[in-house]
Amino acid sequence: MQSYWFGDIRDGRCISFTGDINAFIERVQSVFTLRDTYAPPDWEEAVLCGAFHDRHEYLSKLQAVCIAVAERFIREQYSRKDAELLQMVRTLDEIDTVINLLSEKAAEWYLIRHPAFSRKYHRTPAHALVKTMHEKSKGALGKVAGEIERLGNTRTILAKEVSARANDVMPNTSALIGGLVAARLMSRAGGLLPLSRLPASAIQVLGARTALFSHLKTKSPCPKHGIIFQHRRVHNASRDVRGKVARVLAGKLAIAARLDYFRGTEEPEFLEKAQKRIDATGARREP
Amino acid sequence: MIWIGDVLVSQGEGGVYHERMLGGARVWDPYRSKLSALYHTGAGIDLIPEMRVLYLGAANGTTVSHVADYVEVVYAVEFAPRPMQDLLEVCRRRRNIIPLMADAARPEQYAPLVEPVDLLYQDVAQPDQAAILLRNSVSLKPGGTLILMLKTRSVDVRKEPLDVFCDTIDILTSSGLIVKESKWLTPFHADHAAIVCIKPERVRE
Repeated sequence: MQSYWFGDIRDGRCISFTGDINAFIERVQSVFTLRDTYAPPDWEEAVLCGAFHDRHEYLSKLQAVCIAVAERFIREQYSRKDAELLQMVRTLDEIDTVINLLSEKAAEWYLIRHPAFSRKYHRTPAHALVKTMHEKSKGALGKVAGEIERLGNTRTILAKEVSARANDVMPNTSALIGGLVAARLMSRAGGLLPLSRLPASAIQVLGARTALFSHLKTKSPCPKHGIIFQHRRVHNASRDVRGKVARVLAGKLAIAARLDYFRGTEEPEFLEKAQKRIDATGARREP
Repeated sequence: MIWIGDVLVSQGEGGVYHERMLGGARVWDPYRSKLSALYHTGAGIDLIPEMRVLYLGAANGTTVSHVADYVEVVYAVEFAPRPMQDLLEVCRRRRNIIPLMADAARPEQYAPLVEPVDLLYQDVAQPDQAAILLRNSVSLKPGGTLILMLKTRSVDVRKEPLDVFCDTIDILTSSGLIVKESKWLTPFHADHAAIVCIKPERVRE
């Protein structure tokens, strides 16, 4: 028996497939597993079958079914828990960039109005400067500074949401490295499934693309860490063990990502062992 | 192919991606589409109204919409959900594009839906581009044409583009395909080569 999407041909007799669009979607997805020898579909056979009147009808039915299959697939992909987290963390990082750019421009503007003002020898954090500008400047500059402040508040709320969502979507990875960094790793990999498929060595240098490719192309040293540098146990480690901590952490993250994707629940036993191992690596050479 | 002066165009409903219109026809920009770039280098095969095309790596449907203006039907394969959303919108306006949500590296998942085609066009960013093309050639009629858009940087960033190109030609010829012509797509696309092959009438045993 030969099965096609429009019907089955058995002993020279053709039985056309009937059903609504959902039945056709199932059919299209299952017909592939039925086939053992490949025979390309023939629209003339489909017409003889009585499934369609002509080629035009054959093609428009095929298009309708294929569009429905694609729409269903997209819906399924987007309803996965990591799909929204991905957009959230990317928006968060974009807001950070925008805040930095705008604050810099506004500060330059503020300096023109206050020639005596300088940030040298004064430890004025950026957000404090923005606050001053907002309170002391008239007109558009004050408004711009106000917008930066508001954007900063939005950023705080979004960061909390990202963290909470990451704890839910990727509990093991988040427990090891924190929700925000975990979400960033996932965003760089392109999703939870791609992240779970990455080897530890790739996770270690995720986000250090320029350094990695310059290492591959020239003789420059290879990067020790990418995004995972943002985690305290990496950037607080002394320089001589930093690469080692990054490597061990990345190894555990690779396992954690797989647990997150395939189990989706927190694994206390794994986490306890992993945390101990990472801490031990960081502490080993300290006096 | 339809040329107005030295501008390549296609006849069809405009506004797909805010493309420029010229005398009621849609301008097919060689800087945006590698297939258009190939025609601008003077190579490639003419698209004719009777043609059936299997298009791998359809992306947002920009090039697909132009191909669909010329031929009878295009089977467009794309795997990523985001560009597929755009491609579906193009499909709703053009009745001769069949969208296939599948991985071009696994033709067994969609080949049962694809009729024998006259042209197999491939533009995917994968390191095993040649192998993907060969696997898909089951859907190609004997004597049909294959066009491979080789992204040398996707195959291997560390290798020289020319070496990647030569390796790919070797793979294609040793699999029994006849390489008809090959062109670099400079200045339109850097480090990209187009390879046009013919599937022999009888496959060598």
